[in-house]
Amino acid sequence: MKSVWLSAILMLMAGASRAQTAEIAASVLDDKGRAVADAVVVAVPSDSPARLPTRPREGVVDQVNKEFTPKVTAVLVGTPVTFPNNDNVRHQVYSFSPPKRFELPLYAGVPAQPIVFDKPGVVVLGCNIHDWMVGYVYVSESPYFAKTGNDGRALITDLPPRSYRVRVWHPQLDAPEESTEQNVDASAPRRVAATWTLPLKATIRIRRAPAGDASVRY
Amino acid sequence: MISWGFGCRRICTILIVPAAFLPAVCSAGDWLFDANVGILYDNNLTRAQAPADVRADGAAVLAASVGSLFALGGSDTISLGADLRGEAYWRFHGLNVIGLGADASYRHKFGLGWSAPWLLARASASYDDYQGNVRTGPRYVIFAELGKRFTESFDASFGGACDRRYARYDQPVVPGISGKPFDLSGASVYVRASYAVNESLALGARLSVRRGDVESTTRPNFAIFEASSAIAPDPTFGPDFFAYRLRGTTDVAALTASWALDDRSSINLSYTGERTRAYDDLDYRSWMGTVSVAFRY
Repeated sequence: MKSVWLSAILMLMAGASRAQTAEIAASVLDDKGRAVADAVVVAVPSDSPARLPTRPREGVVDQVNKEFTPKVTAVLVGTPVTFPNNDNVRHQVYSFSPPKRFELPLYAGVPAQPIVFDKPGVVVLGCNIHDWMVGYVYVSESPYFAKTGNDGRALITDLPPRSYRVRVWHPQLDAPEESTEQNVDASAPRRVAATWTLPLKATIRIRRAPAGDASVRY
Repeated sequence: MISWGFGCRRICTILIVPAAFLPAVCSAGDWLFDANVGILYDNNLTRAQAPADVRADGAAVLAASVGSLFALGGSDTISLGADLRGEAYWRFHGLNVIGLGADASYRHKFGLGWSAPWLLARASASYDDYQGNVRTGPRYVIFAELGKRFTESFDASFGGACDRRYARYDQPVVPGISGKPFDLSGASVYVRASYAVNESLALGARLSVRRGDVESTTRPNFAIFEASSAIAPDPTFGPDFFAYRLRGTTDVAALTASWALDDRSSINLSYTGERTRAYDDLDYRSWMGTVSVAFRY
């Protein structure tokens, strides 16, 4: 009987704690009003640095059908990320991006050691065997971030009530990330909506489709 | 002394036959299945100079290949393939052909990343069985190419190739002169570039110059006869047509446009213009256009 009461009290405390947090419901559109998927929305407390978890959860960037899956992965700074290869061919994953330069020599299966992303920024991934493969790891300095789905919406939850500087990044963003920054007042424990309209540039991925060749006869 | 033809055949054999055993050595091969279906039109199939001898026709083309790419290391890959190709002409059925071939290539990247320069060496061998026997025989090509991708949209390369074609049937009509006008050899250099306009449309261009044997089919022509090193009847274009082998230089300019339907298929257009200058002022021009759909699995 005592344990039932204890559980009930703990649940009430948890509920009360959740009730004390705020949420930011972000909506990201392009300049034609279309929903933008794979945009990373990051909320940074305006007044003081966010408290980082002592041990970030591990990230995973899979390789399926000779593509990085997901194409965009958002992780907290210091997160170890593994790159399992679920194709039946070997890949050689690399990045030249300043926040994390690395190379995983040709491998199949799961590499023994994860890569720790220890500096914030955008890390562009490639495969040296399949040049068309491209992926992105967004390394956030704040623990409060989320990625938009196909509907262009992302929800950042469990925010301590306060004011935040919120910005958005996307692989096709045609402006400095800082230019997307908005001040969002989430000082009350409730959901706050915010919308971004991003200028996106057309990017060209290295072609994977077969290309025709001109015939030459001798 | 080893002749060029024998050397070419030997190089192709040396490259292709051991390559057939590589799948047993290398694991995790990347299998590729390609298919191509389309039509072509050639405005001067005879490669003739006199308008009266020029013959044009179109053909349906079907090609399929299976291959495997083996990554030997991060910078080195070998690919092996076999292909089957058929062409069926509307009017000149002697040009109908079924070809069976194999190829092997080695690619080395000088560094890491898509912008690293690369070197490609390739050898291919095929046997082309034409409805008109005079063209039937094996064909060998070796080439080496050096290239670089400069941006995600633009890449370019240059290379050199040697080709050797053997005629299986000897059909001499003039004593002392070979009856194998399709026994041809040549060497060429080329540059090529491609540019992706957007995610779907890619444009390509290729320029090449080839020096070597060329074949021209005409009605009896004394000037060509004097310059030719092989003559045989070519009934594909009529009972009074003869195929001649000459030495010449061929300039080729080709343009391609490829529209990606998805990651595995595309619609392709190509235009190839050729100009050949052979001895004794033979100068002929031709162009060929193709429309095709390509699939890759």
